[in-house]
Amino acid sequence: MTLPSEHHRSWRRWRPDQQWEGYLFILPSFLGFLVFVIAAVLFSLGISFSHWGLTGFKEWAGLQNYQALLRDPVFWRALGNTLFYLITIVPSQLVLGLAMALALNQALRGIGFYRLIYFMPVVTTIVAGAIVFRLLFSAQGPVNSFIEGAAALLGFGVEMPNWLGSTRYAKWAVVFLTLWKNTGFTMVIYLAALQGVPRELYDAAHTDGANAWQRFRNVTLPMISPTTFFLFVFQAIGAFQLFTEPFVMTRGGPANSSLSVVQYIYFAAFRDIRMDKASAMAWFLFVFIFIFTLIQNRMQQHWVYYETSE
Amino acid sequence: MTVHVSTPTGQAPTGLGRWGRLALHAVLLTGTLLMITPFLVMLVVSLIPQEAFLARDFSPANFSLNNFAETFRQVPFGRYYFNSTVVSVSVTIGQILVSSLAAFAFARLRFRGRDALFLLYLATLMIPFPVTLIPNFLIIRGLGWYDSYPALIVPGFFSVFSTFLLRQYYRGLPMELDEAARMDGASSLRIWWQIVLPLSGPVLAALAIFVFQGVWNDFLWPLVVTTSVEMRTIPVGLNSFVGQYSTAWGLLMAGSVIALLPVLVIYILAQRWFVEGITLSGMGGR
Amino acid sequence: MTPKRLLPLFVLFASLALLVSACAPPPPPSAPAAEAPAAEAPAAEAPAEAEQVTLLWAFWGSPEEAKTHQMVADAFMAEHPNIKIETMVEPWGDYFTKIQALWAGGDPSVIPDVLFLWPTPRYAAEGVLENLQPWIEKTGYDLSDYWPALLESAMYNGDVYGLPRDIGLEVLYYNKDIFDEVGLEYPNDSWTWDDLVAAAEKLSIPGERYALAMEGGKYQLWVGQNYGSILDDMRNPSKCTLTEPAAMEGVKFFADLMDKGYAMRDADLSQAGGDTAVFLSGQAAMIIQNSSRVSAFNAAGMNYDVEVVPIPKGGQRSASAGGAAWVMSAASDNKEEAWTFLSWLQSTDGGQRLYTESGEIFPALQSTARSDAFLHQDKPPANRMAFLIEGENAKVGRFGYFPEWGELDGSIISPAMQRIWAGEASPEEVLPALCEQVDAFLAEHGYPK
Repeated sequence: MTLPSEHHRSWRRWRPDQQWEGYLFILPSFLGFLVFVIAAVLFSLGISFSHWGLTGFKEWAGLQNYQALLRDPVFWRALGNTLFYLITIVPSQLVLGLAMALALNQALRGIGFYRLIYFMPVVTTIVAGAIVFRLLFSAQGPVNSFIEGAAALLGFGVEMPNWLGSTRYAKWAVVFLTLWKNTGFTMVIYLAALQGVPRELYDAAHTDGANAWQRFRNVTLPMISPTTFFLFVFQAIGAFQLFTEPFVMTRGGPANSSLSVVQYIYFAAFRDIRMDKASAMAWFLFVFIFIFTLIQNRMQQHWVYYETSE
Repeated sequence: MTVHVSTPTGQAPTGLGRWGRLALHAVLLTGTLLMITPFLVMLVVSLIPQEAFLARDFSPANFSLNNFAETFRQVPFGRYYFNSTVVSVSVTIGQILVSSLAAFAFARLRFRGRDALFLLYLATLMIPFPVTLIPNFLIIRGLGWYDSYPALIVPGFFSVFSTFLLRQYYRGLPMELDEAARMDGASSLRIWWQIVLPLSGPVLAALAIFVFQGVWNDFLWPLVVTTSVEMRTIPVGLNSFVGQYSTAWGLLMAGSVIALLPVLVIYILAQRWFVEGITLSGMGGR
Repeated sequence: MTPKRLLPLFVLFASLALLVSACAPPPPPSAPAAEAPAAEAPAAEAPAEAEQVTLLWAFWGSPEEAKTHQMVADAFMAEHPNIKIETMVEPWGDYFTKIQALWAGGDPSVIPDVLFLWPTPRYAAEGVLENLQPWIEKTGYDLSDYWPALLESAMYNGDVYGLPRDIGLEVLYYNKDIFDEVGLEYPNDSWTWDDLVAAAEKLSIPGERYALAMEGGKYQLWVGQNYGSILDDMRNPSKCTLTEPAAMEGVKFFADLMDKGYAMRDADLSQAGGDTAVFLSGQAAMIIQNSSRVSAFNAAGMNYDVEVVPIPKGGQRSASAGGAAWVMSAASDNKEEAWTFLSWLQSTDGGQRLYTESGEIFPALQSTARSDAFLHQDKPPANRMAFLIEGENAKVGRFGYFPEWGELDGSIISPAMQRIWAGEASPEEVLPALCEQVDAFLAEHGYPK
């Protein structure tokens, strides 16, 4: 995923004396990779080109599984939903996570308490979280009551939707659950990155008369950009593969309106016993994510700053 | 090694006055309310009996700790706790070591095929899990690990995610550190162990919590590769409260609260290391 | 880099390599198990000596339900000392994922011999189930005791592959207190749709109480009562028939109940905790559901009873004949014993009585349902005959009994119907497009066969 132009030539050139060291360092990881990832992945590639039953191979299918996919309206629906999750969840998580990290990076009384609270959702069992969210977002539930009450105080009436019963709003409830559950992680990673920004840079900027916004814009953002890039790529992949949150909260409903691709893959594999169809979808999605990530990688040279030596 | 006593190295100078602090507190408290409400609901549900929950009667008159006792009575939570702890701790340590070694090589060593290999790593991150679940189960069975600790632990040693995260972080560290150390005759292993690892305190701490909670809460994999009560973990126990026709809400929530506590403790400990780790690392001294 | 410095690294590698070495090439999926089969193998090889045989028995359920199963297993073992039953209980949600992984592995030492399964035809089509027909014929097992049409849910290609444990018949539960409060007569077996609507008008209080709560997924009950159907043939379909007037009327009847605020919308119902919750809390005066709710209502000491489900004028009773079944794995090493267990489970003197007495099921066998075990439990509901009447009239119709039904219903039919139950579209808008999609699906999968 490193793009040639992204870094300096000297860094890219391999050094003979580090050749075997490099391999040795990677070996443990590579063994696991080979056994638990590559094998499984190639296996699924093979399945996607065959008719595959519960007990294994039946016959070769050529491209049939893929062709059937193109004709499957549910798949396209799921893909559309997944793109919705991508464009809603990823930017909000980055912005919210960074804002939280900046706020919690202050020397403030009670900061440990805030850090604890904001991270708690990350470590919670998702099943419990989803059940609670279903309660909160029910038609006459606390969320609607609160918003309606607040609106009434301000002197206007709003009609709140029945979130989970609506093909338009069920997706949003899933988005809120995802943000609640996962933003704390983004925050922690950003917090770690902010801790790594050398203090002298701020001091120097301060001496130069930069105000808080300029310091943030010209020091903080560039210095944490590798982290932002990592989070962006990772969260985009995560959003493409969103599964647990809609699965436990809406089961994809109503009317497939919150069904994600990976959920559909899961249903195909384990509800319909169509591992071949599931594998074809997985590889289709893979190509989709891969292209998306390649584009991201192209773009990163414009905004990611790596501190590498000449 | 420089030691800052009051402000950690990376902490931005607040420059906030009294009012700024108050405003920040206000914002953070609002956020706290948003984040914590679901937990309060969880706690309340864990305290009331099933009938009261079904009737949506949340009055404190019904509160009791019966659900907590009942979870332990219905499910061998003690054993599950032990297993979850063994598995989560082993995976966290193993995965961080293995990923850190690989990330170090990917970020700071120059060898042929490095970038292509890394690309391959990343690509596999994009394969959705449902299609690899059964192949991986077959591999575990082929290894003779079905229903054993290795099945729960060893596959967790390898993680593209952790490798990627650490590699991004390691790339951000100045290369001069390595070069200076090499001049002094330090080996790569030593650079990794004595320079890079100590410098990555915060990110390792963050990663450790994340890996730990991920394994701690993972459900599907333990369910598929284990079968005996002796090998099962907490989430499998929790999910048994979700039935075909009815869910034991109070038990599920009580169990979730119990499951949450150790992870919170780990977080509190790791968080401290987060800040102190960087203070002592001497980043300012280069 | 000195060798000394490298040592720890090599130690690390070596230990990891050791851990992973056994695995070199991942075995092909169908390869026989490399490891020695578990304790049951010796018994399997020497059945003649009447040694103890161990059967692995799998089912889903909560810890509470698992206790009932264990009690049943103990009772069986007491009668059959030569057979040992080991249980494997998994949470409901991922039971099927687990079972499928085991079958994909193909290792008879870990695949359960007897399992609880649904839907049977899907698994039978994959060839993992033992055809029970020869066993039934050999031992003269009595199939006529099952409720009509029930066995069809466990048949594939005309042969029986599973023995249903229970039958998911719906009856009308009603809250007597609410009926008394409103001053309404209790429902009776002559109630029609019109009576239901008339009562609903009196029972419902907007924003406070619904007359009826019923899961959207049970809509076929109304369709069937009106002589309509989802597909022209639920075993070997050629087309979707939901657009035909009889079916359309049934769907509209249900949709109208919701639109008028008499029946709870599906999503509201599931958020409120399901029909058990809203019936307990008095949010709904009536629910239409199978017998699985009885124990919860009894535990709460509710004042309620059950009645047959109202039908349209000139309509028919049309409860769905379907239920999860006990099946035998084709990979079992101890089929003789597995059949002994299976047929014992499904006998009035054996498992059926025990399950029925536990109050968890309405039995698949008519003789059990007519025995004291069900009819005289000295517990509510008083009108247990309602279940029997629905049972005698049970029909095929809710589920398709062909392998692709789960996919068709789960991905296409149910989601489309959810738009109606959500009140976002009328049956006239949804059903024609739905039928087109269903027909395309059937054609794509080669139906009719």
